[in-house]
Amino acid sequence: MNRKTDIVVVGSGLAGMSAALTAAQSGKKVTLLTHGAGTLAISSGCIDVLGYLNGVRVADPFESMATLPAEHPYSLIGGAETVREAIDWLKSVCRKGGIDMAHAAEEGNHTLITVMGTLKPSYLCPDSFNPDCLKDVHRAAVVTVENMKDVHPGLIIDQLHRYAELSDKEFMEAVLPCPIEHAHRNITPLDIARHVETPEGMKWLEKSLMPYAKLYPVLLLPPICGMKHSQQIWNQLCSALKVKIIEMVSIPPGVAGLRMRDVLKKALNAAGVYMVESAEVVRAEVEEGRCKTVHTLTASGEDAWEADSFIIATGGLLSGGISTAPGKAWESIFQLSLDAPADTEAWSSPDIFGSSFFASMGVKVNHELKPLNGEGNVCLDNVRFAGRVLGGYDFAAEKSGNGVALATGRYAGMLAGKE
Amino acid sequence: MKRRINPDKCVACSTCVVQCPVAEVTSKFLGPRMLGPASERFRMLNAGEDDSLSYCANCKNCDISCPQGVEVSNINMLARAEYCRENRPSFRDWILAHGELEAKLVSYFPSFLVNFGMANPISKQILDMVGVSKKADLPKFASKQFPAMFKEYKQPENLTKRVVFYPGCFIKAYAPQTGMDLVWLLNKAGYKVEYPEVFCCCGTPLYTNGFEADARKNAVKNLEELAAWRKAGIPVLSLCPSCQLMFKSEIPAFFPDLAENMESTALDDAMEFILGCINRGELDISEADTSPLDIIYHAPCHLRAQGIGFPGLDILRLLPGVHAVNADAGCCGISGSYGFKKEKYDIGMAIGSKLFDTIKDSGIRQVATECGTCKVQIIHGTGNPCDHPLTILRRRLDKKTTK
Ligand SMILES: Cc1cc2nc3c(=O)[nH]c(=O)nc-3n(C[C@H](O)[C@H](O)[C@H](O)COP(=O)(O)OP(=O)(O)OC[C@H]3O[C@@H](n4cnc5c(N)ncnc54)[C@H](O)[C@@H]3O)c2cc1C
Ligand code: SF4
Ligand code: SF4
Repeated sequence: MNRKTDIVVVGSGLAGMSAALTAAQSGKKVTLLTHGAGTLAISSGCIDVLGYLNGVRVADPFESMATLPAEHPYSLIGGAETVREAIDWLKSVCRKGGIDMAHAAEEGNHTLITVMGTLKPSYLCPDSFNPDCLKDVHRAAVVTVENMKDVHPGLIIDQLHRYAELSDKEFMEAVLPCPIEHAHRNITPLDIARHVETPEGMKWLEKSLMPYAKLYPVLLLPPICGMKHSQQIWNQLCSALKVKIIEMVSIPPGVAGLRMRDVLKKALNAAGVYMVESAEVVRAEVEEGRCKTVHTLTASGEDAWEADSFIIATGGLLSGGISTAPGKAWESIFQLSLDAPADTEAWSSPDIFGSSFFASMGVKVNHELKPLNGEGNVCLDNVRFAGRVLGGYDFAAEKSGNGVALATGRYAGMLAGKE
Repeated sequence: MKRRINPDKCVACSTCVVQCPVAEVTSKFLGPRMLGPASERFRMLNAGEDDSLSYCANCKNCDISCPQGVEVSNINMLARAEYCRENRPSFRDWILAHGELEAKLVSYFPSFLVNFGMANPISKQILDMVGVSKKADLPKFASKQFPAMFKEYKQPENLTKRVVFYPGCFIKAYAPQTGMDLVWLLNKAGYKVEYPEVFCCCGTPLYTNGFEADARKNAVKNLEELAAWRKAGIPVLSLCPSCQLMFKSEIPAFFPDLAENMESTALDDAMEFILGCINRGELDISEADTSPLDIIYHAPCHLRAQGIGFPGLDILRLLPGVHAVNADAGCCGISGSYGFKKEKYDIGMAIGSKLFDTIKDSGIRQVATECGTCKVQIIHGTGNPCDHPLTILRRRLDKKTTK
């Protein structure tokens, strides 16, 4: 089959969904092709904008953005102003979908608490993750649920006490009885969050937290406060128990990312985006520097998807946007070559938290997010790239993953929407 | 012959775990990542089978969400087939798997008797005792099954183009009118329809219930017939997403030796075909009824897994007066015969509740979906009318059908 639309977006991570929603909101007909559900589904749903610059923690990501190199995606799309606009837009989309996103009380990043007991800078998080209230209290309970193998209050407390700003706080361990009977697998925060979404689950959580709420003004929880109604549930628990609840950032499944993904997916459907899953784009037809169609592989052959313009948000190595062989790296759909060091050893760094080619390889683009060839000229005039597939930044070392995905996705959607 | 899918593409990211509808509603299920690729490594060592294998509904949402292209559901189904070689499936599973055979038997009796026999409280109790939930609404046998209906139907003479129809067992026994709606549309578009009676159940209910040998026998018969029509250059159309998926991707995965010599084992999608007819001007929809009609469409998981979009929804959206929205609320919970099983009924209903709520909240009465058992589940869960998109298309085009 051959189908035609105004804009085709490839990839349903935060970048692809932001691009598709933005373009659809500007009145375009948008088809979103995706093979896999994207990283947001398993991540924490907190928007890291910029946590570190050259290994040093930044105080205010927007101030520091001005000092980023010219090829950084943020610099390319216009810096702080463009990124702030994207953040405000995401906040409004989330609010409509029932999730309130919170900035830190003071300018700059939050210091989020993780279930590993580490602190992590992030710019925007759901209300329920906002740790500001911990500053004003001396005591807090660290809560887990029986059988939840990935969340150990003892470990969390030991780790938290290593941070100067938390070393004098009094933390107490609390283990809630597991509300799920006959579990055949390890219980994750997502299992409990889904249970808490039900009326009896909500009752269970309120009742089990009650004794700790009487003793401690702040309760640190894994992300278990419901799914679709997490905001309401969290509000209701805080007011009924007269405490502040802080959800901690969890390893996958991160729960809050899934909450956000569900909101975005609903918004996409409402905006008329035609989302096709199990649709792996394997190649494109390009004529004179313009993409005519992208082709998905189906069990009975190929389907062609025609559009005026294309936004490629296929993620990095793990998501399939980038392919590699020893000494070589390329973008997977258009086979754009990425400048890989010939010596594959040089791709990684001995410091696992340091910057590396593995984490930063990606497509070179201009200020309109159009790809550039070796000479620095636009090589595909109606194609834009967004999100982790872009080069010029290291999301892991900088802590800028969702920030870049959101801002470049939105920007690509805006530009394509205006054409 | 043991067939294995290499589990090593799995990077243990857990995306499938968060998208599996069964894992979402019950912790009795180990979940896709652990039951699929992770357990597969143990199976290779003959380390025994996990107790919750039967909980996998083969709905394919794991495969749909996996960024690495791991065929999780097929790993699970191959494991089930292997397990059932040593451990015979229950009588209940036999009944649910062999619907086609039962349909053949009951076709000798008047359907009202059969349906009364099935639906009365005593039979329901007996079915419940063998493990078919008495809370479920089992689909009702049609008073006349598709083969008989088709035989009696007079297609217009002088149709020069030809297509073949593969009905699948659901349409054959329970929803023959849907098949006849397709025949009517194809005739109107200028195609004469052939229905070769050798075509039998695609094998999905057989394989997923553990009857591998029976599924294989059917695959042999069906592929032979399909190959003959292929050779003659005549498209073979199917209305059912699960049959389509079985032919195009499960047969090659379950019985690779059978698929080996065929370039493609896929049936053609009847909705894509009709859409093509409309686009080519063969099927004129300008005369269609234009009275306003709101429709809420449910995409069956087995259609989503095919990655071809929603041609049925596309057709509805071409119709003047029709406003069709996509429910986009995930799995309906039935997964063929899964939701009829006594120990799975509540799981199926819990899974479907999101869809039921979405339909109810939309305020729209008319539901549309391609899959026969999704339809049964939607009617059971909402009480709303639910029809195949092509049935709705026919209704809008055929002046003789009274709505
Ligand atoms: C476990 C984990 C947790 C993280 N947590 C955070 C966090 O808390 N905060 C933060 O800011 N950042 C976080 N990050 C980083 C951040 O998630 C990523 O940088 C960001 O999500 C990238 O988004 P994306 O849309 O560009 O790519 P992805 O989310 O990777 O999406 C790419 C999409 O494209 C699809 N795709 C790929 N190839 C094709 C193809 N050929 N055809 C069709 N579809 C295709 C993929 O399946 C996928 O749907 C985390 C990363 C990981 C791995
Ligand atoms: S099967 Fe796929 S989605 Fe599931 S854990 Fe493995 S890689 Fe991730
Ligand atoms: S096929 Fe469906 S039920 Fe089975 S593991 Fe995959 S998502 Fe879960």
